Amino acid sequence: MKLVQIAGYLGSGKTTLILAISKSLSEGGQKVAILVNDVGEVPVDGKVMQEYGLEVKDIGGGCICCQVAGNMRKTLGLLAKNYEPDITIIEPTGIAVPNAIKEAVGPEVAKFQITFGPTIVLFDTTRAEKFLTYETLIRLVSTQLKDADIIALNKVDAAPEDKIEYSQESVQDINPDAKIMKLSSRTGQGVEEIIKAVRDFTA
Amino acid sequence: MNPKDVNNLLSPISPLHEGISSYGLSCLVTRQKAISSDELRKFAAELMTTISGTCIKDGAKDIGHIKAFIEHDNGFLHADTLGDPADVTVEGRDGEPINHFKLVVNSVIYGLTKEAVINATEASVKTVRAKFGLEEKTGE
Repeated sequence: MKLVQIAGYLGSGKTTLILAISKSLSEGGQKVAILVNDVGEVPVDGKVMQEYGLEVKDIGGGCICCQVAGNMRKTLGLLAKNYEPDITIIEPTGIAVPNAIKEAVGPEVAKFQITFGPTIVLFDTTRAEKFLTYETLIRLVSTQLKDADIIALNKVDAAPEDKIEYSQESVQDINPDAKIMKLSSRTGQGVEEIIKAVRDFTA
Repeated sequence: MNPKDVNNLLSPISPLHEGISSYGLSCLVTRQKAISSDELRKFAAELMTTISGTCIKDGAKDIGHIKAFIEHDNGFLHADTLGDPADVTVEGRDGEPINHFKLVVNSVIYGLTKEAVINATEASVKTVRAKFGLEEKTGE
């Protein structure tokens, strides 16, 4: 089972991208499961995905990078055992730290033959200044970006060119090793490239 | 209202989450006169702008993400906002008019206390529900 994380701050477009990726991978014959984490106990994103016919497991009541990491391990185990997906996509909360999730998964890697796919972190180019200047947010967003294999500059359809350039330079400074892609989950720009990266990535 | 708030039961929380508070609630909503799809979409959109506006008025530094899910016998709607009143998303599958639905709301806000997020969310739900002549269905 390949495990792919699609992370990023609140409202960065994770759910929309996951819907597009999952649909494409499923149509290509891959068995896809999605593990969704909402901060509140009453999850919303998982309900939306279920309505679109996807195999979804919801984890609510806290963040899987810290508060409910044990619940995530248990859910992953159940998914691996009962559904046997080729790919499981994790949508963490918008405040989750991707490497903390990887560490939390650690004990299950051998047991369920898990391989890590890419950690994709979305960055909302329309709100770049806010994320890169607010005192507490910059710590969180920078940590998320540092943990990325791929940084997807999202909402490029809605951001002016100078904001996109500013975003690109800023995220490159934060994580020079990450591959940077431009994306619009809404229009579909760049989605195929992300899907290819999910398929081809080997840790 | 039947708030389901468990954040206080869980720990430890990552220090990187400092300053971000969240609250989720779910309730059953009813109205004797059937609610059309169009009206339901307007309700969802107004709920988003009202919660967001209340949080900003109360001192939020940033609307992290406010989301709602409306589930009923004939379809569903999901709505969300990042704080810009001109950019509220409402999508889903419309159906025939309905008399009741389940409403789920999640508010994640930067720069407000947990209590303030609870108050803003609950007060906004009540206000918008009343504006559309909707009542909370109790006893289930």
